[in-house]
Amino acid sequence: MDKTKNILKTFLPSLISGINPYVLSIFVIGITAALCTPLYNLQGYHVVSFILLFVVSMLATFMGIGPVFLAATLSALVWNFFFIPPNLTFHIDKTEDILMFGMFFIIALVNGVLTTKVRRQERLALEREERTNALFQLTRELSKASGIEEVLAVAIEGIKNHFRTDPFFILQDGNNILHSSGRLQKEKKLSEKEYGVAEWVFTHSQKAGKFTDNLPSVEFTFFPLPGTRLNPGVVAVKLEKLFSGDQKAFWDTFLTQISNALEREFLGELAQKARFLVESDRLYKTLFNSISHELRIPVATIMGASDSLLNSTHPENVQSALFNEIFTASLRLNRLIENLLNMSRLESGQISLRLDWYDMNDLVNKVAEDLADELKPFSLVVSMPEDMPMVKIDYGLLEQALYNLLYNATQYAPVASMIELCTWCDNGTLVIQVKDSGPGFSDAAIENVFKKFFRVDGSKTGGLGLGLSIVKGFVEAHKGTVTVENRKIGGSEFTLKIPTEKPDIQNLQF
Amino acid sequence: MNDNETILIIDDELQIRRLLEITLSANGYKILQTGNGKDGLIDAATHHPSLIILDLGLPDLDGQEILKKLREWFFKPVIVLSVRSSEEDIIKALDNGANDYLTKPFRSGELLARIRAAIRAGEKKNDAPVLEFGSLSIDMINHVARKNKEILKLTTTEFSLLCLLAKNQGRVLTHQYILKEVWGYGYLEQTQYLRVFVAQLRKKIEDNPSKPKLLITESGIGYRFGD
Repeated sequence: MDKTKNILKTFLPSLISGINPYVLSIFVIGITAALCTPLYNLQGYHVVSFILLFVVSMLATFMGIGPVFLAATLSALVWNFFFIPPNLTFHIDKTEDILMFGMFFIIALVNGVLTTKVRRQERLALEREERTNALFQLTRELSKASGIEEVLAVAIEGIKNHFRTDPFFILQDGNNILHSSGRLQKEKKLSEKEYGVAEWVFTHSQKAGKFTDNLPSVEFTFFPLPGTRLNPGVVAVKLEKLFSGDQKAFWDTFLTQISNALEREFLGELAQKARFLVESDRLYKTLFNSISHELRIPVATIMGASDSLLNSTHPENVQSALFNEIFTASLRLNRLIENLLNMSRLESGQISLRLDWYDMNDLVNKVAEDLADELKPFSLVVSMPEDMPMVKIDYGLLEQALYNLLYNATQYAPVASMIELCTWCDNGTLVIQVKDSGPGFSDAAIENVFKKFFRVDGSKTGGLGLGLSIVKGFVEAHKGTVTVENRKIGGSEFTLKIPTEKPDIQNLQF
Repeated sequence: MNDNETILIIDDELQIRRLLEITLSANGYKILQTGNGKDGLIDAATHHPSLIILDLGLPDLDGQEILKKLREWFFKPVIVLSVRSSEEDIIKALDNGANDYLTKPFRSGELLARIRAAIRAGEKKNDAPVLEFGSLSIDMINHVARKNKEILKLTTTEFSLLCLLAKNQGRVLTHQYILKEVWGYGYLEQTQYLRVFVAQLRKKIEDNPSKPKLLITESGIGYRFGD
C-alpha cells in the first residue's frame, strides 16, 4: 500500500500535471467502474464499493479537496446507479443497501478529505523544514562572509535559490546616502524614479513599489533592510505577487538575517575608518612636530650666522666658520625638502618607473660624489665584479635609495671606520649591500626601521625618520626587497634585491 | 678677467636674480637681467649676450618655448637653471637647444664652472683637425686617438662616439641624441649599447675608469665630455 502510494506520488503528479483534476477524477472513477464490471458479475456489488473507496483515497493523495469531493460523490452515485440492484436506477430496494450507500458516501468523503489534509500538513511541515534549513544555511554562510561584497554575494545567491528572483541591493555609503548603483552588481543601475522610491523606502523603513500601497507604478518591489543601529539600505526585487503567509514570514526573516550581517560589516568599516583617522591624525601631528623642528633648526642657523656676519666685524677665520654653518644648514634644509617631496610622491602613488639600462659604476660614483663631504671622515670601499653587467633600473629612484642608505651610514658609523658598498648581479637579480660598523639596531628597532617617522631612540638630532621608508618605497616600486640585519662583527647591513632583466647585447656593432 | 662677457639672466625670482648678479659680477661678468620671457627675448636680440641663464617657469612664456625661439637666431650658450628637476624636463630643454642645465638649489661654484665651460666651448674651434685634452689627443683627419702619445686601439663606433662627445665638450648630450648621431635612427631605444660602449671607451681613455674625468655621466640624461 505504502509502496503503491509512493509510486503514485512520484509518477502520477508528473503524468497528470496539465490535465484538469476534475476531469481526471471523473475519468478515473469511470474507468474503475468499467473495470469492476467483470468483478461485479463474479463477486457481487459489495466488492466494487471497496475498490471505489480505495481509488478515491488514492486520488486524495495527490489532488486538492475539490476534485476529491467530486470523486467521492461520483463514485457513490456510480456505485448506486450501476451496481446496487436494481441496476441502472438510483433507486435502492433494500434498507441495508440504503444504509450501505450512505456509509459509502460518508467514508469516501471523510477518507478523501482526511488524506488531503494529512498531505497538506505534510507538505507544510516539509516546507517549514526547508525554510528552517535555508535560514540555517544563510546564517552560517553570512557569518562566514567577511566584507560587504561577500555578504552581498551570499545574500543574492540565497534569494535567487529560495525566492526565484534576482535581487538588487542598494546600499548606503556610510553617510546615510544611498548609492544609485549596486556595490556588487555594477551593471545594474536604478532609474531616477526607482531611485526615488528606494530613497523613500530607506528613509521611511517601509516597503514600497509594485503590489504595495506606496508608489506602486514601478517594476520593482522595494523592501527596507532593517538594522538595529543603522539601516544598511534597500533591496529591490521583481515579484509576480506579494509574499503572503508563511512565505512572507520566511522573506522577512531572511531579510533580517542579511540586514544584520550587512550592519555588522558596516559597523566594522566605520570602526576601521575611525581607527584610520586616529592613525592619520597621529601621523599628521608627528609630521608637524618634527617638520617644524627640522625646519627651524637650519633656518635659525642661517638667520643667526648671516645676521652676525652682517652686523659685526669678525676675523676672517670666524667669518668663514659662519659661512660654513650657513652652507651646512642649507644643505640640511635641501635634504629635508628632497625627502618630503619623495615621501609625498610615494604616498600619492605617483611613482611610475622609468626603466633603462645603466652602469652601476655610474650610479655608485654619482652617489659617492654627492656625499663626498659626508664620506670624508670614512673610508668607502666599493666592491663590484669586473664583469658587472648593465642593469635595467630607474636611475633616479635607485640613486636616492642608495644616497639615503649611505647617508645614514655616515651619520651613525664611528669616524674613520669603513663603510662597504657591495653590488653584484645574481641570476637576474641586482643585489646592493651597504655595511657599516655603527651601533647596529636593537631587536625592537630592527622591526621598525623602515616605518615612516620611526627614529631609533637616542639617535642624533636631525632627520625626520623618512630616509629608510623612502628606500623601502623606491625599492618596492622596482618590485624588489630591502632587508636589514646586524653584522656579527657589529654594525648594520642593508641588502637591496631588485629583479632586473639580463642585458641582450649580442647584436652590438663594434 | 671676464670683462667682455655679458650674461643675460631670465628668471622671475628676484632673490635668485640678485644672488646671481652678486656672484657673477664678483667674477667679472657684466649682467643683464629680466623677470619675464618677452623682455628676455628682446634683451637677447639687442644686447647679444655671451651666455643666457634661463629659468623654465616664467610668468608669461614657457621656458621651453623661449628656448625654441632663441635657437632660431641665437647661437651662444644657454644654461637652464630651474626647480623642475624631472628628467623629462631636462631632456626636453636639452633637445630644445640648451647647452647645459642646473637644478635649483645649486652651488655657485658649480654654476660658475658650467658658465666658464660653456663659454670656452663656444669659442673653441671644434672643427680643428686635432683636439687636445690633457694627455688625450684626437686626430680627426687620420681617425686616430692617442693617449700619452700612444695610439689607442679604438673600433669605428668607439671613435665616432669619442669624436661626437669631444667636439661638444662641456655640453650635455642626451642618450637619444648620441644614439641617433652614432648608430642612427633605428637605435634610439638601445641605451644599453651606449652604456657598454661608454664603459669600454672609459677603460681605454680614462686614467681611472671607475672615476671618469672625461666621459662624465649625467644621471638619467646623457653624457658630457669634461675638461
